[in-house]
Amino acid sequence: MKTTHAKMKKPLLFLIKTSLGIIFIFPLIVGISFSLHTEQELGSLPLHLFTPKPTIENYIKVFIDVPIFNYLRNTLITCLVAILSQIVIASLAAYSFVFFKFRLKKFFWAIILSTMIIPGEVVVITNYVTIQNLHLVNTYAGLFLTSLISGTSIFMMRQYYMQLPKDFKEAAILDGCGDVQFLIKIAIPLSVPTISALAIYQFVHIYNAYFWPLLVTNKDIWRTIQVGISYLVTGDVEEYGKILGAAMIAMFPTVLAFIFGQDYIIKGMVSGGIKG
Amino acid sequence: MVWSKRKQERELLIRPKANTLLPYVFIAPAIFLFGMFTIYPFIRTFFLSFTLTNKYGNPTKFVGLKMWKRILGQKEFWNTLLVTLKVAGITLLGTFSLSLFFALLSTTPASGGKIYQTMYALPMAIASSPAAAIFVFIFRQKNGLLNSLIGTNIAWLQNVDYAIWVVCFVTIWMHVGSSFIFLLVGFRNVPDELLESSILDGANVWQRIWHILIPIASPQIFFVLFLNINSSFKSFAQIKLLTGGGPVNSTMTLIYSIYKNAMINGRFETACIQSIFLFLLIFSITRIQFSLEKKVVYYQ
Repeated sequence: MKTTHAKMKKPLLFLIKTSLGIIFIFPLIVGISFSLHTEQELGSLPLHLFTPKPTIENYIKVFIDVPIFNYLRNTLITCLVAILSQIVIASLAAYSFVFFKFRLKKFFWAIILSTMIIPGEVVVITNYVTIQNLHLVNTYAGLFLTSLISGTSIFMMRQYYMQLPKDFKEAAILDGCGDVQFLIKIAIPLSVPTISALAIYQFVHIYNAYFWPLLVTNKDIWRTIQVGISYLVTGDVEEYGKILGAAMIAMFPTVLAFIFGQDYIIKGMVSGGIKG
Repeated sequence: MVWSKRKQERELLIRPKANTLLPYVFIAPAIFLFGMFTIYPFIRTFFLSFTLTNKYGNPTKFVGLKMWKRILGQKEFWNTLLVTLKVAGITLLGTFSLSLFFALLSTTPASGGKIYQTMYALPMAIASSPAAAIFVFIFRQKNGLLNSLIGTNIAWLQNVDYAIWVVCFVTIWMHVGSSFIFLLVGFRNVPDELLESSILDGANVWQRIWHILIPIASPQIFFVLFLNINSSFKSFAQIKLLTGGGPVNSTMTLIYSIYKNAMINGRFETACIQSIFLFLLIFSITRIQFSLEKKVVYYQ
C-alpha cells in the first residue's frame, strides 16, 4: 500500500509543479493563442482563449504592413557587432589582467570596477547627447557604440583565464610562443565554452534592449525590433491581432535562445551577478 | 650546465614581464570605451546639472545650484521619488516571494524537473515590448481579456488606483525568472547529507526550509533582495508602454521622469539632476547591501 502511495506521489508532484508553471507562463499562451484569432474575433466579446479556426492571417499582415525584416536586420547587426567586439575586447583586457604584471594594473582594475557601480541608466541621457553631437543618431554606430564592452564580459573572461593552468603558458612560452600567439592559438580556442556563454547572454541582453535604441533612433527604418514593436503597441492601430503577431515574432529568437541556451545564460548571470 | 641555463631561461620567461607595452595595448580598447561611455558621461552629468541646456542637451549658461534648488523645491520631484520607492517595494515583495516559492518547489532535482524550471524562468527572456503588447491586450478596457473574463469594464491602465499595481504585476512577472535562478543555485548548494540527516532527526518541511535551506542560501537570498530593488529602479519600458507615467503621475518613476524631461520636454539639466538621484539611490542601496552582508549572511 505504502509503495503505491509513494509511486503516486512523484507524478502528482510533477503535475502540480508543471501546472503552476503553465499558470505562470499563461500570458505567453494568451499572446500566442490570440495572435491566431481573426480581428473580428478579437473585437467581439466574450473572448475565447482558443479559437476553433486558428489562422495565420495576422502574421501575413505583419510581414506585409510592418517593416519587420528591417527591424530584425538593424537588431541583428547591432547584436553581431556588439557581441564580436565584447568577445575580442574583453578577452584582451582579461588576458592582460590575468597574465601580465604591469605598473598601472591596480589602477586600471579600479577603473573597471568603478564602471560597474555606475548603471547604464544613469548615464543614458548624457550618452545620448554625445551620440547626437557626433551626428550618429539613426546610424548603426549610434546603436552599438555603448554596447561594445561590458564589465560582465571582462569578469567572465577573467574568471576563465584564472582557471587556466599556469603550466600551459609556461610550456607555450618555452616553445617560443609569444603572448599574442598564445592568446590566439591557445587561450581563445580553449575558452570557446565561456565565449559561447558570453555570446548567448549578451545576445538576449542586447536583442531585448529598449531604452537606448529608443533614444538614438527617430526614423522608422532605423528602429530595432523592440522599438518598432513598441510603436505598434502605443500607436492607435485597431488591429490588435497584428500587434500580437508582431510581438510573438519579436520574442521568438530570445525565447528560443533561452530554452536551448539556459545553462549558458545562467553561467553569464552568476559571473556577472554583482552588476545584476 | 645545460639544465641550469634552462632553469634560468625558464624563470626569466615565466615571470610576468614588467613594463612592456603589450599589457597596455590589450587593455586600451576596454578603458577607452569605458572612459568614453561610462566615466565621461558620468562626470558630464554632474557638470550639466549646474547649467542651463539647449534642446540638444548642450550647456548654454552656468547657473550653479539654481536648478538644484528649483527641482528640490518641486512637489512633483518628491512625488516621483515616492512612486519609485513604492514600485520598488511592491515588486520586491512580489518577485521575492514568488521566486522563493518556485525555487523551493524545484530544489530537489527530479526527472522532468527541467520542464517546470524552464517555465518558471522563461519570462526573463521576454523583452518588455512584446510583454507590454500582451499585457495591454489583457488589461485594456475595450475588448480586454481580463474585463472579458471577469465581466467588468475597468480601465486598468488609466485608473489611479489600479495602474501602479498593473505596472508592478508586469514587472514582477518579468523579474521572477532571474531571482528564481539565483535562489535555486543557492538551495542546490545545500549538501544532500545535511537534508537527509535532518529528515532522520525528524525535522519537518518547514524546519528544513527555515533552519537549513535559508541559512545556507543566505548569500543568494541577500543578493536577490538587492537585485530586485536595483532592477525596479531601472524599469523603464513597461512604464513607458503601459501607462506613460500616468494617470496623474501615479506611475511616474524616477527613470521615466528622466526620459520625459530630456526627450519630451527638452530639459536636460533636470534629467541630469534626476540621474544623479537615481545614481545615489542605487549606490546607497548597494552600500547598505555590502555593509549588511557581513552581518546577515552566513558563508559556508
